[in-house]
Amino acid sequence: MRSTRLLALAAVGALSLTACSGGGDSVDTGGGSGGDNVLIAAVSAQPDQFDPHVTNAYASFQVLENVYDTLVVPNAEDLTMEPSLATEWTTSEDDLEWRFTLREGVTFHDGSEFDSADVVYSYNRIIDEELSNSYRFATVESVEADGPQTVVIRVTQPTPNLPALIGSFKGMAIIPEGAAEDVDLTTEAVGTGPFRLESSSASSTVLTANEDYWGQAPSIDGVEFRYITEPAAALTALQNGEVQWTDNIPPQQVDALGGDDSVELATTPSVDYWYMSMNFARPPFDNPQVRRAIATAVDREAVTQAARFDAAQPNQTAIPEDSFFHTDYAPFDVDVEAARQLIEQSGVPTPIRMGLMVTDEYPETVTAAQVIASQLEPIGIEVEVQTTDFATWLDRQSQGDFDAFMLGWLGNVDPFDFYHAQHITGGASNYQKYSNPQVDDLLTRASTETDEKSRKDLYDQATRLIVDDVSYLYLYNPDVVQAWAPGLSGYEIRADKAINFEGVELP
Amino acid sequence: MFALVHLVPGDPVRLALGTRFSQETYDALRERSGLDRPLVEQFFTWFARALGGDLGVSFRSGDTVTSLIAERLPATLTLAFASILVALVIAIPLGTLSALRPRSVVDRVATVLSQIGISVPDFWMAIVLILVFAGTLGWLPTGGYVPLSEDPGGWLARLVMPAVVTGVVSGSVITRFVRSSVLEALGADHVRTAQAKGLPTRQVFTWHVVRNALLPLVTVTGVQLAYLLSGVVVVEIVFSWPGLGQLALQSVEARDYPVLQGAILLFALVFLVINLVVDLLYTAIDPRIRR
Repeated sequence: MRSTRLLALAAVGALSLTACSGGGDSVDTGGGSGGDNVLIAAVSAQPDQFDPHVTNAYASFQVLENVYDTLVVPNAEDLTMEPSLATEWTTSEDDLEWRFTLREGVTFHDGSEFDSADVVYSYNRIIDEELSNSYRFATVESVEADGPQTVVIRVTQPTPNLPALIGSFKGMAIIPEGAAEDVDLTTEAVGTGPFRLESSSASSTVLTANEDYWGQAPSIDGVEFRYITEPAAALTALQNGEVQWTDNIPPQQVDALGGDDSVELATTPSVDYWYMSMNFARPPFDNPQVRRAIATAVDREAVTQAARFDAAQPNQTAIPEDSFFHTDYAPFDVDVEAARQLIEQSGVPTPIRMGLMVTDEYPETVTAAQVIASQLEPIGIEVEVQTTDFATWLDRQSQGDFDAFMLGWLGNVDPFDFYHAQHITGGASNYQKYSNPQVDDLLTRASTETDEKSRKDLYDQATRLIVDDVSYLYLYNPDVVQAWAPGLSGYEIRADKAINFEGVELP
Repeated sequence: MFALVHLVPGDPVRLALGTRFSQETYDALRERSGLDRPLVEQFFTWFARALGGDLGVSFRSGDTVTSLIAERLPATLTLAFASILVALVIAIPLGTLSALRPRSVVDRVATVLSQIGISVPDFWMAIVLILVFAGTLGWLPTGGYVPLSEDPGGWLARLVMPAVVTGVVSGSVITRFVRSSVLEALGADHVRTAQAKGLPTRQVFTWHVVRNALLPLVTVTGVQLAYLLSGVVVVEIVFSWPGLGQLALQSVEARDYPVLQGAILLFALVFLVINLVVDLLYTAIDPRIRR
């Protein structure tokens, strides 16, 4: 159930992307004096650090999104890659060489000029130091400069999703050559983005507008990210005017806020997905009939209602409906009788005991697991919901010490992100030990297929097999839910949860 | 303590990397953070540095542990002392009054109030206060912290609600101690003697009752203060109060061993110092202990 879909605001986003180069001109802010023209945003957590190549925390990327740039950037409507620090790119005949032409007249926050050496330095830093995003360069053979305005990336096999790999989030940010040696990037930021990192404390992080921004310079003077962990407090702070924006809204109040004039509420389906998975290496969950019985007994609507108060779209595949790569496939209708028969046919004696591992780091998994437990009881499966902290959860997952678990994959942009490492035999994220040679073949071919239509066909076929085999039991795509002060304009809610304040104007 | 922190299941490297990473990345980060070395060696490295005041560097943020603690110490000290003040302002009059008139209406009301203060969950009380005083009435900000030196008015406005919530909980506990120790002192032989001598009630009370009742009060206040200084996690979270409790919680969740060890070390020191102060106060209050 969505109250307002503010995709109409897309027009404003387009404004910020039509880069009117030429850096130097500073724009008259026209509004308020001093600190009054600062947007205060309530976010739920403190960034752990600010090195874009090292951090993995969403709280950090909320800030870094506004400070750093990448070569390409997903657009707000459908997350296809658009120019950012690179103005255009071409691939060679054999698809093994990508040439990116860089934007001219861009300066870093320290005043230095942006050129190809910075791109080469940034990418090689990630590759050579084996930083957390180095897996994104798995097919990359070399990153080299060809003059100051061109970067050449050579790959070992066709990599159609290279733009998504280097642009989908600010973890692939471009930093100035030598920055990691010259400044402490964990506390300082030297980007090319619309805001500079001013300061950060245990209470808030403060950004100031970058007058020399290569795009449209922000009309606000700055942004203060204030950490308010308790959703009820964040919403109250928004309602009484202490803050002007928040993404920390009590889920049970989303419905009621739709009719509330004191806040502007926006929701949009995200590219995240939540799922349950069973251990293929542990009987009886290696039995396809048992897995299919469970997939038939689970009522995704009820799970979604309980876990997200309906702020989500039930889905039997990973990719949300709005996406080009969505596979229209939903073979499971909730049917307890059919599920019971499948269990009978499997020959596995009931009751079947299943430990379902969830983590209080993501409370919605705990709620969802309780609902699933009650839904599986009538078909003779006794679910023990095992709630642990995230550190223990990750340990057990990596050791294969589970019957079943629940979690989500967040911020997926390309179908490769949605399916590849999770389902290919021996894949880095294939903790459930799924193996189907047909799926392996389809996923491998899809990863190098450069024709988009054929690529979608391959992923469609792979998806059907993955769903039929219940490698993952897909549950839902949650909505992004954000709210701001009435009258605030120029902000656009995005499916990838990137938070971009460059075009914002205060009421 | 070092062993305990490291024995808890969970791998800080895996947590720092999230869910998508390669094995090479994992190995590289493990080596950088020194976690690939034997635990005994890690302990002695840490211990030698800690003796020199160097508590190491956070895995999570790259900041030094001492700077992380120093950043949050003022907020924790402020809240702890403000809460104890609120607690004593509630507990001393309420406990004394109910002891002077046992089983009276005052006594019963005080008992019920302190029972409520102990049993109402602090997060619930905190959220109700926010909804009423920051939401409906709009008198106070929802939370946060500003240093006293920057904005005294804002400092006080933000301090009121968290101090009241933690103060009410501590005050309820202390009220019961005040009541029982005053009652006990009232029944003591020397008080009966003083009354028999015909001393005025006020003099009996200040010289013979209060001084004797003070000892248990000092003890329980010390315990409460130590508890408040080690951070009140729930209240800090609800009121966005950047104290040590939140830091300790974050470091447990992230298995950020250096920060966690630093925080535990600090809490241990706090208990030692407070115990010392309480013992010194004993000798000041009761001359017999000096001997």
